[in-house]
Amino acid sequence: MFSRRSFLKTTLAASSLALTSRLAFAADWAFVENAAVGQTVYFNAWAGADNINAYIAWAGAEAEKRYGVKVEHVKITDTAEVVKRVRDEVAAGKTDGSVDLVWINGENFRAMKQEKLLFGPFAEALPNFALVDVEGKPTTRQDFSETVDGLESPWGMAQFTFFADGAKVAKPPRSMMELAAFSKANPGRVTYPAPPDFYGTTFLKQALFEQTPDRSTLYQAAEPGTAGMLTTDLFSGFLDELHRSLWRDGKQFPKTQAEVTQMVADGELLIGLTFNPNEPANLVAAGTLPASTIAWQHAAGTIGNTHFVAIPVNAKAQAGAQVFANFLLSPEAQAKKNDLKTWGDPTVLAVSKLSSEDAKMFMADAVPGSVSLPGPAVLEPHASWVGALEKAWLERYGRG
Amino acid sequence: MLELRDVSLAIGKQVLVKQFSLTIAAGEIVTLMGPSGSGKSSILAMIAGDLASAFKASGAVLLNGKSLDGVSPQNRRLGRLFQDDLLFPHMTVGENLLFAVPALPLGERFAMMETALERAELQGFASRPPHSLSGGQRQRVALMRSLLARPAGILLDEPFSKLDVELRQQMRDYVFSHIRARGIPAILVTHDRADAPDGGRVLKISVGGEVQDV
Amino acid sequence: MAGVKTSRFIQALGPIPVVGLFVAPLAVSLLFILPSLVDVTGFVSLFEHPQFWGSLRLTLFTGVISTVLAFILAMVVVVQGTSFDRADNVYMASQAGPMLALPHLAFAIGLGMLIAPTGLLSRLIASFFTGWIEPPQWQTVQDANGIGLIAALVLKETPFIVWAMSGVLSREDVKRAFAGQRSVALSLGHGERSIWLKVLLPQILPRIIWPLVAVFSYGMTVVDMALVIGPAQPPSLANLIWTDLNDGEVLANARGAAGVLVLTGIIAVLLGGAAMLVKSFQPLLHRNYAAPPQNQTAMGLSLPLWTIVKLLYFGVVLILALQSISGHWPFPRLMADQYTFKSWVRLLHDGWPLLTSLILALSTSAAALLACVFWLETKPEKFDRLMLAACALALCLPPLLIALGQYRLFLQLGLTGTASGMFLSHVLPVTAYVFIMLQGPYRGFDPRWRSVSDGVVASSWRFYFRIKLPLLKAPLLGAAAVGFAVSVAQFVSAQLAAAGRFSTLPMEAVTLASGSNRPLFAASALALMVLPLMAFLLASHFSKSRWKPG
Repeated sequence: MFSRRSFLKTTLAASSLALTSRLAFAADWAFVENAAVGQTVYFNAWAGADNINAYIAWAGAEAEKRYGVKVEHVKITDTAEVVKRVRDEVAAGKTDGSVDLVWINGENFRAMKQEKLLFGPFAEALPNFALVDVEGKPTTRQDFSETVDGLESPWGMAQFTFFADGAKVAKPPRSMMELAAFSKANPGRVTYPAPPDFYGTTFLKQALFEQTPDRSTLYQAAEPGTAGMLTTDLFSGFLDELHRSLWRDGKQFPKTQAEVTQMVADGELLIGLTFNPNEPANLVAAGTLPASTIAWQHAAGTIGNTHFVAIPVNAKAQAGAQVFANFLLSPEAQAKKNDLKTWGDPTVLAVSKLSSEDAKMFMADAVPGSVSLPGPAVLEPHASWVGALEKAWLERYGRG
Repeated sequence: MLELRDVSLAIGKQVLVKQFSLTIAAGEIVTLMGPSGSGKSSILAMIAGDLASAFKASGAVLLNGKSLDGVSPQNRRLGRLFQDDLLFPHMTVGENLLFAVPALPLGERFAMMETALERAELQGFASRPPHSLSGGQRQRVALMRSLLARPAGILLDEPFSKLDVELRQQMRDYVFSHIRARGIPAILVTHDRADAPDGGRVLKISVGGEVQDV
Repeated sequence: MAGVKTSRFIQALGPIPVVGLFVAPLAVSLLFILPSLVDVTGFVSLFEHPQFWGSLRLTLFTGVISTVLAFILAMVVVVQGTSFDRADNVYMASQAGPMLALPHLAFAIGLGMLIAPTGLLSRLIASFFTGWIEPPQWQTVQDANGIGLIAALVLKETPFIVWAMSGVLSREDVKRAFAGQRSVALSLGHGERSIWLKVLLPQILPRIIWPLVAVFSYGMTVVDMALVIGPAQPPSLANLIWTDLNDGEVLANARGAAGVLVLTGIIAVLLGGAAMLVKSFQPLLHRNYAAPPQNQTAMGLSLPLWTIVKLLYFGVVLILALQSISGHWPFPRLMADQYTFKSWVRLLHDGWPLLTSLILALSTSAAALLACVFWLETKPEKFDRLMLAACALALCLPPLLIALGQYRLFLQLGLTGTASGMFLSHVLPVTAYVFIMLQGPYRGFDPRWRSVSDGVVASSWRFYFRIKLPLLKAPLLGAAAVGFAVSVAQFVSAQLAAAGRFSTLPMEAVTLASGSNRPLFAASALALMVLPLMAFLLASHFSKSRWKPG
């Protein structure tokens, strides 16, 4: 038997070799699959949504059936906790870490990558990675302007989307300026989650995009000077005015996107926001939102990104984690995830690369709540803008 | 003068004390005897207006000719002494006494307390906590406390039963002399014939609940 | 004096269980905090944080006001509900028990569902009075001043203080002493109000000082409840800290640790200040005791406060139950569109969190009870001060502080994600609560019982099992029930210790709270309630006094 260390080296070698030799690759992947049998993969994934939990349970059961890999869903509320835990474990010299696979993207990925807390590169060596739409969906290789470098495997697509009850909102606002006008006409009925909630920060980024004529600056690291100028412009030119008509006069904000969704369902708010374009349709199907729900994106585009799975450097079941990540990329798993009845998370695969039979699984009819007014996806700004925006926002609006 | 008219006491359907009447003159100490559980203490509680609701009492209590019916316990002006001294443990001896002094200018109140301490032969004990006193000392403070409230009658519920024989004799003399000196009517409840004042009237509750002179 | 005559050897063993389960883990955990004390960057970053001062102001306001109000409310409830005429006043404690069982988080959610702009209250008003079609813009929850948070804290802590006070009042010796003192005070011309204020409460308060301190500390440091019903801009200081501690950024972690230390210091200063205040007002208090009697008859307040509190709890449970089976439920309708048991099926499908919580609660409350009784029997009362100091630390220090140190300790020992780690993280606060609940009644056990029985019962073990334990049954069972409930409610330290390998009911509930599935969350909150509720019901059932008036 191999010791873990030599095995680790082998898998690492396998990953890099794979790019050059298909034959060696197949043999090495078979080796990974063998090593994975009997392993338990602790998959740390946000668990705030029932349908997502159910999907993960399904995928885990399939992986056990097919590959002998047991998957335990570690239900977490915030991925930052996992970053912290892995960092603490590595600092304490713990080699058999408690996290084998983590659902991640953006600043959390950047932090783990910079601090060398990730195993890999492994992603592009996964057999199913060949099916990923790397050209059409550049965010599968570029996570918030941070190159992925095979350190995380793409899992699903996201695009900032708004929703409302069509019976109450006849003409949805298709830009931030229109949203401000709508809010003025309906005082107290619009809001967004307080940053640093992920959705709140995205709302700020979206506003920043729409208020900044030259977007190229946003794709570079945020320099204190430029960032200060741009955020000040955004605040005095747009947000100050918008806040006056928001829920609680813009003095209080909900803490999470889930709260916003709940208040929309209750009728206390008129417009909700999400990163999953299919979430409104999903919530209609679950009975949380009425069938008259509509969803839309801004005409000039909204922020889109990809979410990934990554393996910490001290993961105990690295082989099992790779096998499970590969399964998550399979057409079958992706199609089931794409299905509104289960989760409705858009696929990272290029449907054109699939066999016609596999491709059929991705066909779907429009259902109540699905996006009726789509807009193009806009790439995330550089990850450093997150911190800059959050800090500036707290300074100006967080004091209460 | 303290009068009981046609007083009786029952718990549920069980009659504890059958109807009886009693008049106690000023300065007189009447002894009420009975085995434990006979209801003798409950008669005192009834007179004080503090009877547990499980009991049913009937009859009238008159103090100096006025009926106490409907008068709340704290307005009856009836002092009580128990087996236990029941000094408040969180107050000093002096505070225990002051607790009973009626509303008067502060100087007068302190003077009354000092006099009471003197009579209890406990000068200089004002700032002592009750638990630092002996049993007899505490019982003297308890008596002084009830007398400070200027009661119109006094109810003694086996106040000597926890004292040893020697102390008991002293305490009896002490209590009775103070009560007589003030001319207050008093009832003493006890199960020990020896507690009764010499030559005083003694009543006994029999097993059937009859109250008779001994 | 120790109740059971034991050998020197056993007496020497006395401290070992409590030290092993509680004192040592606590002390070492606190040691692991020390590095943060000298980490200046954390403090600098904290004081520069734009929300720090606002958060501090909010926390001081909500923490102090809620404790004072809960204390006053509990006193009024106890005064109104205690009758020395009836032989038994344990009924308040047994009613408070089930209310204690309702987890803070679940209560806050339920209260929110009652008083929020789209809550049951506003739906009732809309349906029967105003005909609103859109929800009103009330600021009843997440209001800037934390009034909603204060309301939730007051309502949640009042039953705890009532429970503690009636625990004292229901002791046979206290009950008899108080009844006698009350009769004397009445005969001296004092009315009910005067008796409570000057005679009874001054004797009860010293015995419930630790529960009160725990209430204050809890109010100042609560995380989950404030997340649900407290304001966000700025958030409470504890919430600011919790966010920082869980952040992916190292500087934020350091800031969070600094925040924990600052919050700890503030609580210490406030408690010290309160103690000094009481001390300097002592002479005044004493003069008040000695005040002459006044002719008062009633207490003056006839509002049935306890009934109102109970009704609110009933409302909270009702709305949680209703919400757990409701489908789409738009404003202002009083009924949901449809009702379904989907959430319950989903919740019970995975029974592990329930089982884990049950096993932890049983094992930790039993271990803590045994350890505390062992200490109380083998060590003389003078050493209690050491234990009480440790308990005071465990309860006054923010749970965040202990959890952080414990997490660092467990990482070093490789205990994160292990069953032992889970047990240790739960047994620590459980032991502290059990000791605090038990110490007063246990030490207050009238030694005369011992002397009375000396002639009757020969063996000290027989005395212990035939007389002492039955007489102390109520406080023993009460302490065990509180320990059980404390274990079930553990979140912060459990979350860190579990490292994702274990899930308990509150962890499950908090995770669900971050989603928008309100029915499922309501169902999980109710499930979280069931375990401690059963513990309290069993405890109060078996501790009913057999003493009857005679």
